[in-house]
Amino acid sequence: MSELIEVRGLEKSFGEQHVLRGIDLTATAGTATAVLGPSGSGKTTLLRSLNVLETPDAGSVRISDAQLDFGAPPAGKAAYRRAVKALRARSGMVFQSHNLFPHRTVLQNLIEGPVQVQRRDREEAVADARTLLAQVGLAGREDAYPAQLSGGQQQRVGIARALALRPEVLLLDEPTSALDPELVGEVLEVVRDLAEQGWTLVIVTHEVRFARDVADQVLFLDGGRVVERGGAEVLTDPREERTRRFLSRVLEAG
Amino acid sequence: MPSFRLLLLALVVCSGLVGLAPGVGPAAAAEGDQPRVVRVGTEGVYPPFSYRDPESNELTGFDVDVVRAVAEEAGWELRFVEAPFDSLFPALDSGRLDVVANQVTITPEREARYLFSTPYTYSRGVVVTAADDDEITSLEDLRGRTTAQTASSNWAKVAREAGARIQYVQDFGPGVELLVQGRVDAIVNDNIAVLDYLATSGNDEVKIAGPAGEEVLEQALAFTRADAALREEADAAIAALTEDGTLGQISEDYFGADVTVEGGTTDVDVRASDSRTRWEVLQDTAWPMFVGLLRGTLPLTVASFAIGLALGLGAALARLSAIRLLDWTARFYISVIRGTPLLVQLFIVFYGLPQIGVDLDPYPAAILALSLNVGGYAAEIMRAAILSVPRGQYEAATVIGMDYGQSMRRVVLPQAARTAVPPLSNSLLSLIKDTSLASLVLVPELFREAQVTAAATFEYLPLYALAALYFWIVCYLVSLAQGPLERRLSRYVA
Repeated sequence: MSELIEVRGLEKSFGEQHVLRGIDLTATAGTATAVLGPSGSGKTTLLRSLNVLETPDAGSVRISDAQLDFGAPPAGKAAYRRAVKALRARSGMVFQSHNLFPHRTVLQNLIEGPVQVQRRDREEAVADARTLLAQVGLAGREDAYPAQLSGGQQQRVGIARALALRPEVLLLDEPTSALDPELVGEVLEVVRDLAEQGWTLVIVTHEVRFARDVADQVLFLDGGRVVERGGAEVLTDPREERTRRFLSRVLEAG
Repeated sequence: MPSFRLLLLALVVCSGLVGLAPGVGPAAAAEGDQPRVVRVGTEGVYPPFSYRDPESNELTGFDVDVVRAVAEEAGWELRFVEAPFDSLFPALDSGRLDVVANQVTITPEREARYLFSTPYTYSRGVVVTAADDDEITSLEDLRGRTTAQTASSNWAKVAREAGARIQYVQDFGPGVELLVQGRVDAIVNDNIAVLDYLATSGNDEVKIAGPAGEEVLEQALAFTRADAALREEADAAIAALTEDGTLGQISEDYFGADVTVEGGTTDVDVRASDSRTRWEVLQDTAWPMFVGLLRGTLPLTVASFAIGLALGLGAALARLSAIRLLDWTARFYISVIRGTPLLVQLFIVFYGLPQIGVDLDPYPAAILALSLNVGGYAAEIMRAAILSVPRGQYEAATVIGMDYGQSMRRVVLPQAARTAVPPLSNSLLSLIKDTSLASLVLVPELFREAQVTAAATFEYLPLYALAALYFWIVCYLVSLAQGPLERRLSRYVA
C-alpha cells in the first residue's frame, strides 16, 4: 500500500535559526503518527509545513495526490497558489489554542468551511456538523458561542471543525497543551476515538503515555532532525540517549 | 454580510436625498428661444439689500429686486445662490456664478479683475461706534483704532487706508456684536445698511458717529471679464429701467429716496426690514432650520459617512498590504487628511479644483471633502481594529481554505468591527457637527439657515442656541444607537 503522506528533505530557517534540517516523514492511511521532542526541536514547524502555514525553504510535501516541491515550486504565482490550496485541502488542523471563530456559534464554526469554501449544500453540512458534534460529545451545544464553553469543550469543537472539512489527514498541534490538567482527558479521549475509527492523524504532543497508547508511528525530533523513529516502542524502549533523557524528564514531570 | 448590505442601503438612501436637495446647477447654454439661465450670487444676510423676508422666508431686498427687474428686462432666467460675501468673488472666479448683486462697490482693484454694470446705487459710508463713544466722529479718528470689517469688502479698504487695524468678521451683524462688547472701536459701513440695522434691531448701544469721508461710492453688478455680453445686456436693461422709473421706484419703496442717482443718499428713510419679536423670530426660523437639517445636514452626514467608511476600509487594508506602493499611497492620504484643516480641504475641493477643470456642485463637493476627511481618520481606527484580531484567526481561516477576501469578510472584519465601533461613533458625531462647515460652500444646511436669519434679525444668541440644540439632539439620538450596536457586535463575548 502506498503512503498517504510523504515528506522529503524538509528544510526551514527563521533568520539565523535553522529549525528543520532535512526531515523525512511517511505515513500510511489510517495510522496515527506522534511527533515528540523538546521545545524548539522543530516539531510544530514540521506540522505547520504540512499545510503550508510555514513555507519550507526546501524539500517536498505530498498528501494523497497533492504535491508541492518547495525547492522547485511551480512557476508563476497563480500556479503556486493553486498547489498550496490543493495541499491545504487535503488536511484539517487542530490548533493548540483552538482558534475558534468567537463571533460564530459552534454550529456556524463547523459549517463555515464546508459551506463558504467547499460550497457544499448547507442542509447537508448542518447534518454533518450535528453528527460530528455528537461524536465529540457536544450534541445540543450547537448554538453556544465558543466563549460559553470550557477549554476542553472548545478544543473538541476545534477537532469537529477540522473534521467537518472531510480531510484525508488531521493535523493536531499540541491539542492539550493550553488546557487545564483536568480537561486534558476529555480531549485525548476524542483523539483516541478518531485513531480507532481509522483517521490518519499527525499529532505533535507532549503526552508521552497517550502517544504510546495511540501512535502507530513515533518520531522523536531534536535540533531540527529526526533523532529516532519507529513504533510505539520508541517511547518505551528508546535506542537513542537523547530520546531517553527527554522521556525521563517528561515522565518525571508528568 | 448584513453590514455591507446596510452600507449599500445607506448609500442608496442618501443619494436619493441628495437628489431632492436643490443644487446649484451649471448655467444652461443660452441658445435659441430658451432664456439664458443667469446665476446670481448674493449674501442673503445683508438687509435691506439682500435678505430673507421674515414672513415668507423668500429672498428679497433692494439688490435682489434690482437684479430681478434687470433680468425681466434682459430676458434672463435667474437662479440665486446665497453665500457669505467673502465667498462670492471666489465663486464668480471659479465659474459658479455669472453675476454678483450685493452692493459691490466699484474700485480700481476690482475693475482690473471684473466687469461692472452701470451703477445702480450711490452711497456713502458712515463710521459706527458705541453709543457712549465721543472720541470717534470721523474717518480721521480711526487711525490706530480697530474696526470690524468683512475681509473682501470695500469698507475694509476704506478703514485700512484711514489707518485702522482690521478685525475680520463674516458680515455686519457680528461686527456690531464686537462693537457692543468693546472688542473693536468702530465699524465702517454703508449708510443705508447701518440705518436698516438700527431700525430693525432697535439697538441703542451703537450709533452713527459720522461720515466715512465725503466720497460718494458707486455700487454695481459685477461680472467676469470673460462675460462682456452679459454686462452689455445688464447695462441696456439698467438704462431702460432708469428711463421708465422702475429703478427709482424700487429705491423709493425701500429707502423713501432715490439712491439710484447721484446725490440721493443723504436723506434716506429706512424702515426696519424685520419687526418681529425675538420669540417670533425663533418660531419662524425653527422650521427652516429643521428643513436645513433634513435636506442638508442629514444627507451630507449619511453620504459622507458611508463613503468615508468605504474609503477608510480601503486605506486601512492598503496600509496593511504587503504591496509597498499601496501602503505608501495610503500613508500619504492619511497624513494629508489628518495634517490639514477640514475647512481648507473643503475650500480646495470647492473653490480650488474648478481652476483645474474639476467643477463640482455644492453637495457633491461637500460630500467629497467630508468623506475624504472621514476616510482619513477611519483608516487608522480600522487598521488598529484589524490588527487587534489575533493571528490565530487568520490561520484558522487559512487552513479551512479561505482566501484573503473571505478571511477578511467573514472572520477578521466582523471581529474588528467590535473594536472599531466606539471610536467610529466619535467620528460620526464629529462629522454631524462638521457638516455645518458646508454652509461656507453654499450648501443650505441647518447652521446656514440660522446664520441667514441671525444676520437679518441680529438675534444671535437665541438662533445659534437653537442651532446648537438641533445638533445636540441629533448627536444624542445617534449616540443612543451606539449602545445597542455595541451589544449586538459583542453578543458572543462571554
